Amino acid sequence: MRILLVEDDPDLSRQLKLALADAGYAVDHAPDGEEAQFLGETEPYDAVILDLGLPKVDGVSVLERWRRGSVATPVLILTARGSWNEKVAGFDAGADDYLTKPFHTEELLARLRALLRRSAGHASPSLSCGGLRLDPRAARASVNGEPLRLTSLEYRLLHYMIMHQGRVIGRTELVEHLYDQDFDRDSNTIEVFIGRLRKKLGSDRIETVRGLGYRLTALEGETSE
Amino acid sequence: MKLDLGKPSLVRRLVVLAGVWNLVVLLLAGTFLTAQFREAAIRRFDQSLAVLTDDLYAGSSVEDGRVKAPFLTDIRATRAYSGRYWQILALRPNGKLAMIEQSRSLFDIMLAIPAVQADRLAAAPGKTLFFDLPGPQNRPLRAAAILTRLPGFEGPVVFIAAEDRSPIDADASRFARITAIALLILGLGLISAVVVQVRVGLAPLFRLRREVASVRRGKSERLSHAYPVELEPLAVELNALLAHNQDVVERQRTHVGNLAHALKTPLSVMLTEASQRPGALAEVVTRQADVMREQVDHHLRRARAAARSQTSGERTPVEPILDELAVTLEQIFQDKGVEIDWRCPEDLCFQGERQDLMELAGNVMENAGKWCRGKVRAVAEGVSGERLRLIVDDDGPGLPADRWADALKRGQRMDENAPGSGLGLSIVDELARAYGGSVTLDASPLGGLRVVLELPRAGG
Repeated sequence: MRILLVEDDPDLSRQLKLALADAGYAVDHAPDGEEAQFLGETEPYDAVILDLGLPKVDGVSVLERWRRGSVATPVLILTARGSWNEKVAGFDAGADDYLTKPFHTEELLARLRALLRRSAGHASPSLSCGGLRLDPRAARASVNGEPLRLTSLEYRLLHYMIMHQGRVIGRTELVEHLYDQDFDRDSNTIEVFIGRLRKKLGSDRIETVRGLGYRLTALEGETSE
Repeated sequence: MKLDLGKPSLVRRLVVLAGVWNLVVLLLAGTFLTAQFREAAIRRFDQSLAVLTDDLYAGSSVEDGRVKAPFLTDIRATRAYSGRYWQILALRPNGKLAMIEQSRSLFDIMLAIPAVQADRLAAAPGKTLFFDLPGPQNRPLRAAAILTRLPGFEGPVVFIAAEDRSPIDADASRFARITAIALLILGLGLISAVVVQVRVGLAPLFRLRREVASVRRGKSERLSHAYPVELEPLAVELNALLAHNQDVVERQRTHVGNLAHALKTPLSVMLTEASQRPGALAEVVTRQADVMREQVDHHLRRARAAARSQTSGERTPVEPILDELAVTLEQIFQDKGVEIDWRCPEDLCFQGERQDLMELAGNVMENAGKWCRGKVRAVAEGVSGERLRLIVDDDGPGLPADRWADALKRGQRMDENAPGSGLGLSIVDELARAYGGSVTLDASPLGGLRVVLELPRAGG
């Protein structure tokens, strides 16, 4: 397993390289954002440990550039900035996990192992409906290549709808597939979720069929692959 | 609006100033008008007296060295004390006046011409003079007199016509009374106009006060610029002050963040180094570094909470925050497979800053995610126009009721293996208090812990 460690503090870099090597990983080190971006784009790493406060280019920008350039390597953010605001921004930029400094080495290694395990065996057949694409293995969705940030319930609903795309699906049917238990089946639950999905997908993709339910369709001019 | 008499008041000052000025002007105008009226009345009165003296003079003749008065038809001059009198006098060389003839209305009384007037008459022969003099029955009289010579009579002769002047005095005082009443009404009208004018004129000032109050209460972020030119600079300055305040708070936060970054990397180095060289020293370093981490976290968040109380109100929509947190937390806990079901009205707004709401809700939801067995529910709702509530439930093991209070307290080094432990909820409690809100714990219908966060709501 080959890991890219992006960290500007020399002491911490040395220690982490040592710890990662001890754990059996091959480690490349980038001390600033520019070099990190270059290495990430050119070398096939299995995971990246990315500090956010970097010289030259900051970590979030590096991550955003990778994701725009379709570098899908799992990224673990390692930063002193632990506010929720910053965490959300990190995940928004495309991070897969987030660890706040100061940390225990064991925790970093455990997180890294989990990250690698999750990313193993990707490349699964994806479902699509026009520009909308779902990757069921990773539970990820995207519209025209832009990743969507969905909660698991939203994803589950969308997954069901894409499996039955083009067909009108009733509310009861949807709510039954949304919740495995009996709670919270009030009438407007589905409206709430459809509203949120429309906000994230664009309002035209889900059509309301009065009295019957909803239908997921490709936009005009789009072709389902 | 109340006028507190103990304090200087702009309204009172303007009204009093205008009132005093009005009083002076109206008094002067009243006095002037009354004087004019009186003078005009007296002039008219004098004219009729002058006609009478002229008639006397023109009608008098001298027969045998004696002056003979004309026969005057005015009935009033024949009735005793009728109020209209005449008299013909001779001025003796010794300066004394001797009566020649007089109207019958005078009966047996001789008009007493004041010595001053006699001298004036002597000094200006042929000229009609007017003066006041006392008359019979103590009635004030107005008199016209002329000193002249009659052909055939030795020495100058004085013709005097006099009339009771009380009717003019009565007219004049009636006029003065009416004028006073009219001017009083005018004055009251002017003062009420001033009061209205001042209130309407100062209305933007009162509006400014209300706007500043609403900024302080966080109802709005800044003042509108729709003020008259005199107040606009003040509004602009106030806005600049608000912006400056926000700037200072922002800078403080940046410093705080920088400090965090600066301290945390060395702490990481110490922890990592210690973990790589096991031993007694490493144990001490690890333990102390953990304490330091907790201290740094705590004090930085305290600083944030303190900085927050100085900022002015911002409105933060709750829905997008819950969405982002739900997505992020599901990703953080994806190995565990946590499902976060959240509900929030689209128009619900938190009265405060975005990152603070993120911190509050993030910590509560993370705590739930950490302890749940797979399900977390977050429901935000408005409680009243001023408050909103976020209820976070989990289906984890929960916390016995006797430990709820401890979970919110800091410094209570709790068992790390229980919900609500660690710093999460105590930070939430501090931050919520800084916003005048609260955190309460309860048992959840899902089986685990319920955390209820009450926060200020921004009005719609």
